Amino acid sequence: MGLFKRRKDNGPGGRLRIYYASDIHGTEVLWRKFLQAPAVYQAPVIVMGGDVTGKVVVPMVEEDGEVVAELYGQPERAGTPEEVAELENRIRANGMYPHLMTPDEVQRVARLTVEEREAWFADVMLVTFERWMSLAGERLADPEVRCFVMPGNDDPPGVEEAIESAQRVEACDGRVVDLGEGYTMISLGYSNVTPFDSPRELDEDELFRRVEAMAGQVEDLTHCVFNLHVPPYASQLDTAAELDDELNVVLAAGEPKMIPVGSTAVREAIERFQPIAALHGHVHESRGVARIGRSLCINPGSDYHTGRISGALVHLRDDQADYQFVVG
Amino acid sequence: MSTRAPETPALFTRKATGLVREARGTDALFYNVMWASVALSFAFFWLLYGFAYQGSNAALAFLIAVALGLPGAFMYAMLAQIMPRTGGDYVFNSRSLHPALGFAANFSYCFWLAIIYGVYTTYLAAYGFGAFGRMMAGFTGSSGWLDFGDWFSTEHGLFITGTIAVLLSAVVFIVGGLRLFLRLQVGAFVLYMLGAFLLPILAGLFQSRTGFLANFNDYAANLGTKNASAALDASAKKAGFAPAGFNLEATLKSVTVFWYIFGFLYSSNYFAGEIRMRKRTHLVAIPGAVLVAAVAIALMLPAYLHVTGYTFNGMLGFADPAAYGFAAGAPAYPEIMSIAAGSWVFGAVIIVGFGIGLLIWLPQTMLLMSRSMFAWSFDRIMPARLSYVDPRTHSPVVAIAIVTVLAIGSTAIYSFTTWFSTLAVLLGLSTTLIVTAVGAILLPYRQRAMVENSPYGRKVGGIPLLSLVSGLALLGFALAIGVLLWDPGSGASLSENPGKVVLALGVYVLAFAIYFISREVRKRQGIDLSLTYRELPPE
Repeated sequence: MGLFKRRKDNGPGGRLRIYYASDIHGTEVLWRKFLQAPAVYQAPVIVMGGDVTGKVVVPMVEEDGEVVAELYGQPERAGTPEEVAELENRIRANGMYPHLMTPDEVQRVARLTVEEREAWFADVMLVTFERWMSLAGERLADPEVRCFVMPGNDDPPGVEEAIESAQRVEACDGRVVDLGEGYTMISLGYSNVTPFDSPRELDEDELFRRVEAMAGQVEDLTHCVFNLHVPPYASQLDTAAELDDELNVVLAAGEPKMIPVGSTAVREAIERFQPIAALHGHVHESRGVARIGRSLCINPGSDYHTGRISGALVHLRDDQADYQFVVG
Repeated sequence: MSTRAPETPALFTRKATGLVREARGTDALFYNVMWASVALSFAFFWLLYGFAYQGSNAALAFLIAVALGLPGAFMYAMLAQIMPRTGGDYVFNSRSLHPALGFAANFSYCFWLAIIYGVYTTYLAAYGFGAFGRMMAGFTGSSGWLDFGDWFSTEHGLFITGTIAVLLSAVVFIVGGLRLFLRLQVGAFVLYMLGAFLLPILAGLFQSRTGFLANFNDYAANLGTKNASAALDASAKKAGFAPAGFNLEATLKSVTVFWYIFGFLYSSNYFAGEIRMRKRTHLVAIPGAVLVAAVAIALMLPAYLHVTGYTFNGMLGFADPAAYGFAAGAPAYPEIMSIAAGSWVFGAVIIVGFGIGLLIWLPQTMLLMSRSMFAWSFDRIMPARLSYVDPRTHSPVVAIAIVTVLAIGSTAIYSFTTWFSTLAVLLGLSTTLIVTAVGAILLPYRQRAMVENSPYGRKVGGIPLLSLVSGLALLGFALAIGVLLWDPGSGASLSENPGKVVLALGVYVLAFAIYFISREVRKRQGIDLSLTYRELPPE
């Protein structure tokens, strides 16, 4: 093997640079950074691979003319509008949704059933997400830039509709899209079954069937990118801590016990259809790259709570793909 | 205080993947304590005491090391909270300072870990297998056991045993992967705690010094030397030994030995939950590990000194080991406490426990180094082949092969040469801590929003809290490096080993060269390495 492999000249063919990121989980600063990627990385195609909405709502409770919220286990108080705005920003910057509520509303939500509370979450999150879609319309001024967004397994149903109705963002979940320069992309934001019972999960057979159906529509799979939220099973892109029934991390000798949690269906699909590249998210702690046959498989991971967006630049050149991880 | 009703939730969480409960602080604490090499550091101190630190007060030296390392423990706890799951010093420094400096500091850390492999493998041979054979001979009078033990202290015994141990740890990963290693680690930890700490402490507490010396004489008699304690005394005096009182300079210099613990203590970054909800996890885990190390030493020290005393240890450093029946070399902490225990059964548990601690360090370090190589490869500084994973076993075979070769090379160095002393790696390891401290001081200014939105966003006297704590950490690390450069016992002093100091700096020069050459090569391949670390403006 060469120490540093010289890129082969594969003759005439397309060239395309894609910026891919995933799992920003409602962190607004990351969405804003994502929209800057075409200009900074000179990538005409940007792809957000799912799990765009957050996981936690922090009630900002109105009490005696002040707003009280709890951060890091400590009560934080804000009196003036400026202080309230600053507190909201701090909550958002940590990947959580601030939500102004009265003490009675907090009690009411606390008493909701799991299903009712999920619906309430969706309403809270969609307000923010629709604002993000509008922001994309303002920021993506260059008409040559293509911005694809799909919901992941954690995103509630309303997200898909919000993407569909956005002006500068293109929906791609469950369909084949033309990326230009002779490349196509199929996308699927669903995951295999997880211990978290998240909103968009499918069993492995159905996952495979959906990918197979899309792949069947692609004329040239050697120039097709698979944008599949869940990574292939046992690929080193899917290593996560094992959880017990109570969702506690299983520890072995004080260290989290790591196991593969990816999809066997996705692995089988990549092995069978051999796309030029496969882009994945879902398992935040399993940043990496792997080759499955000729397919370059990438999971850029996610550190959304640090305020930095983990992504990957995918360089397509004819039927060859190369990569570069970037943290912006 | 909030007037919120106690049953009112402070936040609402969804059913979403990854939202796992935070690991308890005690779990992360356990992880840090395991790698702190407390027992080995303790053994080092007494092996080196006689000829390097006579007159040192061990308790005071340890407390000084704690004082120098404690601010660093708080700094790492704060960093782990501010940037959870960063992947260690490399990712943090390459993003907060400069990619070249982040790579160089991590490359240096791995370089010195590769060197120190030889300490663990040769100590495993000499103070694990070798001591076990001699202990069995000492209690049974068997010359077969003595020959068995002595062989492990020969140059070839050190090298062959060390090489087999390295190969075994590589096989663990290649055949059984991380799962097998973790299973082995659980059993190893139990033996380690029992043998390296619990039994020696009990033996020290329940044995008298007179009883110990009687055991020592009986033990040496079985090795072929009668009245060994008198022979030890005579040989030490002949070599110039004289009992010494407290010596401040020796105490300060011996901080070197206990600083060894702090090369491995700050390592629980991977325990952060996905949301920064609580502050205490890392505070328990990292400064807490310092506290646990302090408690361990606080128990081991009086127990050990109760049976041996400073004078006995001083004589061991001066005397010819053959004169008192220990021809293969002076006994170390586990063998001495086996003698104190007075039984080959207890002795076996003590020495096996201590040896297991050394053995399990090998695959753990292999894991740590291969993770670093993965990160370099992911960032395209190093070839992609470095992160190749075998599709059948899911093991990073290339990285493991490289670490294995380096470890065997290091074992050869420590077996056949005197190029590096036992503690010579500390200087190189500590330079990485310095780089991280500088990065942490600057972080509130370079990543203002990230720090201000964290639990440690407040300022004291207009200076960010993180910068203040990291300033103290930098001072502690710098003073520790000052001790290493001053103390000839460190093996990296300016007076005795200037070549090692140049080497420590040279490793950085080499790493910078690798980074900038790689950057040019990648540029020709169409990959701009500077993009890897470029900040995206949110506005």
